[in-house]
Amino acid sequence: MDLAQYAELFLAEAREHLAAVNDLLLAWERDPTSREPLGGIFRAVHTIKGMAATMGYTSVADLAHRMENVLDGLRRTEQAPSGETLELLFRTADGLESGVNAAVAGRESAATADLASALERAAAAYQPARRAGQPRAPEAAAEPRPGGAAPGVPVRVTLQPDAALKGPRALVVLARARELGAVEGVHPPPAAFEREDFDGAVSFRLDTQASAEVIEAKLRQAGDVARVSVGAAADLERRAEPGTGARHVRVDLRRLDGLMNLMGELLTAREHLLEVASRQADVALEDVSRRVSQLTTQLQDEILQARMTPVWQVFDRFPRLVRDLARRLGKQVEFVIDGKDIELDRALLDEISDPLVHLLRNAVDHGLEPPEERLAAGKPAMGRVTLAAARERDTVAVRVADDGRGIDRVRVLGAAKARGLIDSEAEISGDEALIRVLARPGFSTAAQVSDVSGRGVGIDVVVTKVRALGGAVELRTARGQGATFTLRLPTSLAIVRALVTRVGEERYAVPLTHVAETVDLDPRRVTTLEGRDALAFHGRLIPLVHLRRVLQIDGEPPAQRPVVVVAVGERYSGLVVDAMLGQQEIMVKPFTPPAGTLPIFTGATILGDGAPVLILDAGGLV
Amino acid sequence: MSHTVLVCDDAIFMRTMISDILTQAGYEVVGEAETGAQAVERYKQLQPELVTMDIVMPDMGGIEAVREIMKLDPAAKILMCSAMGQQALVIEAIQAGAKDFVVKPFQPSRVLEAVQRVLG
Repeated sequence: MDLAQYAELFLAEAREHLAAVNDLLLAWERDPTSREPLGGIFRAVHTIKGMAATMGYTSVADLAHRMENVLDGLRRTEQAPSGETLELLFRTADGLESGVNAAVAGRESAATADLASALERAAAAYQPARRAGQPRAPEAAAEPRPGGAAPGVPVRVTLQPDAALKGPRALVVLARARELGAVEGVHPPPAAFEREDFDGAVSFRLDTQASAEVIEAKLRQAGDVARVSVGAAADLERRAEPGTGARHVRVDLRRLDGLMNLMGELLTAREHLLEVASRQADVALEDVSRRVSQLTTQLQDEILQARMTPVWQVFDRFPRLVRDLARRLGKQVEFVIDGKDIELDRALLDEISDPLVHLLRNAVDHGLEPPEERLAAGKPAMGRVTLAAARERDTVAVRVADDGRGIDRVRVLGAAKARGLIDSEAEISGDEALIRVLARPGFSTAAQVSDVSGRGVGIDVVVTKVRALGGAVELRTARGQGATFTLRLPTSLAIVRALVTRVGEERYAVPLTHVAETVDLDPRRVTTLEGRDALAFHGRLIPLVHLRRVLQIDGEPPAQRPVVVVAVGERYSGLVVDAMLGQQEIMVKPFTPPAGTLPIFTGATILGDGAPVLILDAGGLV
Repeated sequence: MSHTVLVCDDAIFMRTMISDILTQAGYEVVGEAETGAQAVERYKQLQPELVTMDIVMPDMGGIEAVREIMKLDPAAKILMCSAMGQQALVIEAIQAGAKDFVVKPFQPSRVLEAVQRVLG
């Protein structure tokens, strides 16, 4: 059997188990006397060991085996783990992760000898004389097994579709199975039984001499069992399960990207087809082009849907990060995650991971005060950091909030002035102005500035990244009460609906995500505000940006000109263009601006007629 | 000889109903308990062949009681009685050693099936 084809599947699954291990370790650390996390950790590590051994990744299997020994000792002695032991388990989880990554990449993982010997010592410390009649948790029947091929016969059990509480029922099934022999390679992992999308089908390997009939009879005793398959049939079924409910397959992201690229080409071709058809005055051609257009839209929806990923896939890594950071800095942090099930395009989600790490680090490092300072300020010693995702209109808002000291406007202002980044104090009166200052390249990256501002390391990097994704960053802060950064993102990255405009001879696209309205430029409604043109718009004055000026286009502008009102959060501005050419789906192409390009573009696209067009960055123009 | 059962639930209504279902089917309800602590005590005294255990009870919940009873007798047969929406607690109970569970509202046939499964 060629195992290489399973490497990615192994990697994905091992990572899931490791995420579960980290989660459970965090829960255990919060309450070391609790026994519940132990079983879950044990099972996850055990599964990783089995999978790694099957793949021939012996160093991973060995490390997992040693970790299992420590866990087993903790279970048998019924002792609460010491802080030192928990730390060791955390480090081992990290070691497993790098080991898994290295193994899949075909490398030997870095030396884990010190980890191995530390685990050895810990296991010895938790190894008491076994008392007779000692009750053991049910999963104890699955004895740790030295590395080697996963033993046993494949079994798949499908619960009745109407069974109540499928998760617990699946556990009963596993408990029955253990009466016949050791259970390995449970899929989905028991940690997933509690999830809502658990469909009641569970596969595992059962190390037993019992016949298929005996196995089936035994497992049916668990109740609510619709079907039991044993042997090759179980393996086949796991791959193509004709059950009810949602079924999932893992798809390589590159394949989805490929589909997405083709989709972009198809959209471009569709626009072209519609143009041609409208010129031909041929009823049959119009019919077929309309049909193609509808199907293209449906296909696009399906592809975009397939790329949507719940944010927990990235968020779940953060509790560990925040914990480690808080420990290192001597801060006390309660970390809250909200809106885990909100979905974003996979590529977008990957891209915001680093900015979020940045913001979370800032929140813990610079935002939250040390416990004694918090107490002195009349706050609880434990600070609170919140990471929340929410659907808001057409966007997804991801917020990183802390209840720390807030951003010190006066000091940021002083620093910005000292560096010649701003000339007037008025420039920094509001939160919106504050983030603009923080976002200036070169402002926040300077170490001494970050020290005095107490904040803001690399905010420019965050803002630049989010803008490049067609999003925007907002900030709310109050002295002594903390700061909230909001990343406002389109739900899907690659294809956006955009307004195509003309300025001079060139066309420019403005993503509709940020377009609030379009109005005709009425000179009677234009006044001057702080030396800049401003437009009366729904009872407020919004600054006007004359794109002809920005783009340095000479000549007379047309008499009638439209204004595209863009809104980023609470900030509005009006882009004055020469003409509006209509709306179109555009495929955003990665964009590396040539040197000297104005920093007002986020990307480029190809229109239906094959012409390349630049995409205006609403966030940068507001 | 009929099997002996200990019924644990903090609601008299539930205890009565479960006892009736079991008695009518020929089981012998040898005792009742309305707290987790009582359940452990009665288990020691009565050594029943089967325990039905409510999950949420005052003075030591059902899950803790399962742990205690399993310590006393690793071969104890405990059937959890749970409401819908208690998935996580049921999982915990099973991990603690409970053999099976039934979901409220009870249908007599379902309860009896589960009891037979547990007594095997």
